Amino acid sequence: MSAIRVFPEWRGKDLDGMLHAVVELLDDTEFPTVKRWREAGGKVVGHFQVYFPEEIAHAAGMLPFKMRGAPIEPKHADSHFGSYLCSILKTSLELVVSKRVELELFVTHPICDAARNLAAVFGRNFPYPCQILYLPQNATSPAARTYLAGEYARVRDLCGEIAGVTVTDEALRNSIAVFNRNRELLRKLYAIKRETPWQVAMHEAYALVAVGGLMPREEHNELLEAVLPLLETRERKKHDRVRVVFEGGFCEQPPFELIRAIGRSCYVVDDDLLIGLRWILEDLPVTGDPLDALAWGYLERSSYSPVQHDPRKQKEDMLLKRVRESNASAVILAAAKMCEPGLEEQVAYVHALDEAKLPYFVTEFEENMTSYDTLEIQLETFVENLLFV
Amino acid sequence: MAYAAGVDVGSTQTKAVVIDEQGRIVGRALTMTGANVTRAAEEAFAIALADGDVREEEVEYVVGTGYGRYKVTFGNTQVTEISCHGRGAVHMFPNTRTVVDMGGQDTKAIRVSARGEIVDFCMNDKCAAGTGRFLGAASSALEIPLDQLGHTALRGERPVKISTTCTVFAESEVLSWLGKGKKIEDILLGVHQSIAGRSTGLAWRVGIEPEVTFTGGVAKNIAMIESLEKAMGMKVNVSDDSHYMGALGAALFALDHIFASRTPAATRGVTA
Repeated sequence: MSAIRVFPEWRGKDLDGMLHAVVELLDDTEFPTVKRWREAGGKVVGHFQVYFPEEIAHAAGMLPFKMRGAPIEPKHADSHFGSYLCSILKTSLELVVSKRVELELFVTHPICDAARNLAAVFGRNFPYPCQILYLPQNATSPAARTYLAGEYARVRDLCGEIAGVTVTDEALRNSIAVFNRNRELLRKLYAIKRETPWQVAMHEAYALVAVGGLMPREEHNELLEAVLPLLETRERKKHDRVRVVFEGGFCEQPPFELIRAIGRSCYVVDDDLLIGLRWILEDLPVTGDPLDALAWGYLERSSYSPVQHDPRKQKEDMLLKRVRESNASAVILAAAKMCEPGLEEQVAYVHALDEAKLPYFVTEFEENMTSYDTLEIQLETFVENLLFV
Repeated sequence: MAYAAGVDVGSTQTKAVVIDEQGRIVGRALTMTGANVTRAAEEAFAIALADGDVREEEVEYVVGTGYGRYKVTFGNTQVTEISCHGRGAVHMFPNTRTVVDMGGQDTKAIRVSARGEIVDFCMNDKCAAGTGRFLGAASSALEIPLDQLGHTALRGERPVKISTTCTVFAESEVLSWLGKGKKIEDILLGVHQSIAGRSTGLAWRVGIEPEVTFTGGVAKNIAMIESLEKAMGMKVNVSDDSHYMGALGAALFALDHIFASRTPAATRGVTA
């Protein structure tokens, strides 16, 4: 269990104060919590979107840092990538090239053609290990679970080597328990979003989830344990707003201001924002083989995204299920500019929504965009039309 | 007699309209938006009231629209200009099914139902190539006032092809054609046709269904009307009040509110 605490700013504050501190932390592109972790002697695993078994890094005593890009100018990183690639690749590299964040290990996954090469690009620029974690492409193969547990064992050994410890099964089981608690708290947060969306603004819920990737998970649990009961009892007026599902935030993240703008127009009752932090849907077993438990969770008890291809989880069916379960009446289909998986999936989503006669709004975003007027007008019009009809 | 008002705060100009209970325009105003958006809205509203000989207290509900809709601080609510242009166009031309709204900074293509509801819409992205701004660039390069562009362009016989998609580069392309000895009329006609082509492309994204109504400030330009009709292959409706269509739509939404508030509570499904 990590004893290091890196985010004191929220402690001793009321709900608004805590939420303000969380938003400030998310806004800070100098990543102060990661710096504090390192100053306390901690080591950092930077893991690129979408999913990484953070329990393994945690069990090795390292900080799993969610690399989700940042709203920064990729001054150095631009020269490493073609202009046709998405922004998150560039800004994730920029974070480390500019020394905003320093790592001991970088892990990526072949989620798309661009990200497939990210480990090599990092590897040419930094002395520490830069690895690809190969998550199984065929989730239904009988060998998938064993294969994935093997991949996780490779990551475990690598983390142990860097941290100078032997990562025991006991340590892994303890980490799974910490993350189980985190999953439970995040499920509660999303239940508030679904059931009483006026109690928590879209940007507040997003910030509460996102900061989990910036601090030890025990500390994130403490934060959520303090915030959630206050959110539930908060006195907020319920407005006559459309309930929507936001789809398209699985990898590159919309700018925070855009998330605020969307939240002003409608109640976002479910979404796939930072889905990697909420990938495992249930508690994992804290007995038996922990790596097998993690592999089982990834394959059998997980959410969906355009970068995982599992015939048991047709993404358009999963989207419709998300809409049904959240009692949403419309969908915002977003995709990051230049994101092939996201844009490809939009086609299937649009067909499914047309067939289900569910209204939807299609848009694109980029993490570095700064003007939202056009998008806001379009979104407001979409909402107006739903409300007036 | 109650009145409703709509104030459309656009990027360049602010328009205000006062309507009576029959939806007839009784007062209108057009002012430059300038830097103080709230003041522009207040001024336009005051002028429209004076134009219609209506006292402010006779206006029961005001809707703000346009980019500065949230700066219409004296208004009761806000509705986007997309909804308002659709509503205004159907009010003026009931058979309207497609609206092309060409403003100073953006162009919108809107498909509407017979009741004025928005079926689909799209806007130009960051690029201003298909907007009034593009005409502004040509006006500045050719040193011809904006209000004379249309008439000059209609004298063109052999329009040049404007290939740039960027307003910033449009000026240099226009100058380049001048350098090659092309007539100003032909260059201007080329500029109009280029904008009409891009706007038609935008409209195809939502599907062009007749009748088409052309709204916004640029609808005052006769060469643009002609170019748009040619590009779309059909006549387009243009009202003398095309400029005010957003404000009119806003005023109609305001009128809806007035009528709804007069409906007995039981009829509205309210039991308390």
